Amino acid sequence: MTTQRTAEEIKGAVMEHYGSRAKTQLGKTDTIELKAATSDNACTDDACCGSSEATQEESSGWADKLYSAQELGTVPEEVQEMSLGCGNPMAIADLKPGEAVLDLGSGSGLDCFLAANQVGETGSVVGLDMTDSMLELAARNLRKVGAKNVEFTKGEMESMPLPDGQFDVIISNCVINLSPDKDAVFRESARVLKPGGRIRVSDIVWTRTPTEQETSDLASWAGCIAGALEIKDVEAKLNAAGFTDIKIEVTKQGESNGWASADISAFKPAAACC
Amino acid sequence: MRKDLMDILACPMCKSELELKIDEEEGDEVIKGSLTCAKCSEVYPIDDGIPNLLPPDLRKAAEAKSS
Repeated sequence: MTTQRTAEEIKGAVMEHYGSRAKTQLGKTDTIELKAATSDNACTDDACCGSSEATQEESSGWADKLYSAQELGTVPEEVQEMSLGCGNPMAIADLKPGEAVLDLGSGSGLDCFLAANQVGETGSVVGLDMTDSMLELAARNLRKVGAKNVEFTKGEMESMPLPDGQFDVIISNCVINLSPDKDAVFRESARVLKPGGRIRVSDIVWTRTPTEQETSDLASWAGCIAGALEIKDVEAKLNAAGFTDIKIEVTKQGESNGWASADISAFKPAAACC
Repeated sequence: MRKDLMDILACPMCKSELELKIDEEEGDEVIKGSLTCAKCSEVYPIDDGIPNLLPPDLRKAAEAKSS
């Protein structure tokens, strides 16, 4: 038996799941331990992001597989441990010094800190998240990292607390699938981007049409699968929100499950001249 | 939140500018206070240095659940 989940149910399940993940991390020691991150705290108990692959990597951190040593060298190990993403948006985001960046679903803040490093002092990074304990964790990590150009705020990506035309780039790592209203997320993304700005995100997509049962399971929604869109729907929704030059590249196939991690990029058209 | 974050925050509902009220601060950081929308008058709290700009219904649902 399957039922259509309401937006409230989905948000509740997502907040609870990620809230408890963050609380586990918050309960750990305040000092940064210089030990190798283990896979058991990085995206392995979820359906999210190819768990079978991650669990096989027992000797080193999952984040190491996706982020270059140079990128990780700038971020404390404890911060790296709490990355729950499915790919590295930094690899595709191609951030430039001075750019204003928005991270949707910033979680523990890892991508924000890496982005902040990339855009430098003249750039800025805002992390948006709706989960209290994730924001608490991000704030704690921010104090450790000491980045001056990063700020976190609590809000939802379907109604962003941000003005029009503010950002050069939107990044997001395995988060948009969690939203019950992707149309609103893409519409709001287009609104807060400057003309000519870009969205470059990693997310889970279905490579086939999922069954009704597959899209109604709340646990699997929090695990990034149930709420994932089909590739053609990502394109259609980005298009409807006004984005152009849409590219969706599947990067990691979830075995034969029918879903995969994808790099998604699109542009907000530059202001029409004359 | 740092005070200069005010430059890029807006009401999540009507996207208008917000007015900052500070109850507690440390240097440039606002630890506790509120943000009020100049247009729709909605008030958003700042707790532990994090501005809570969830839409009011979602914020209230979360508060009801945690209390």
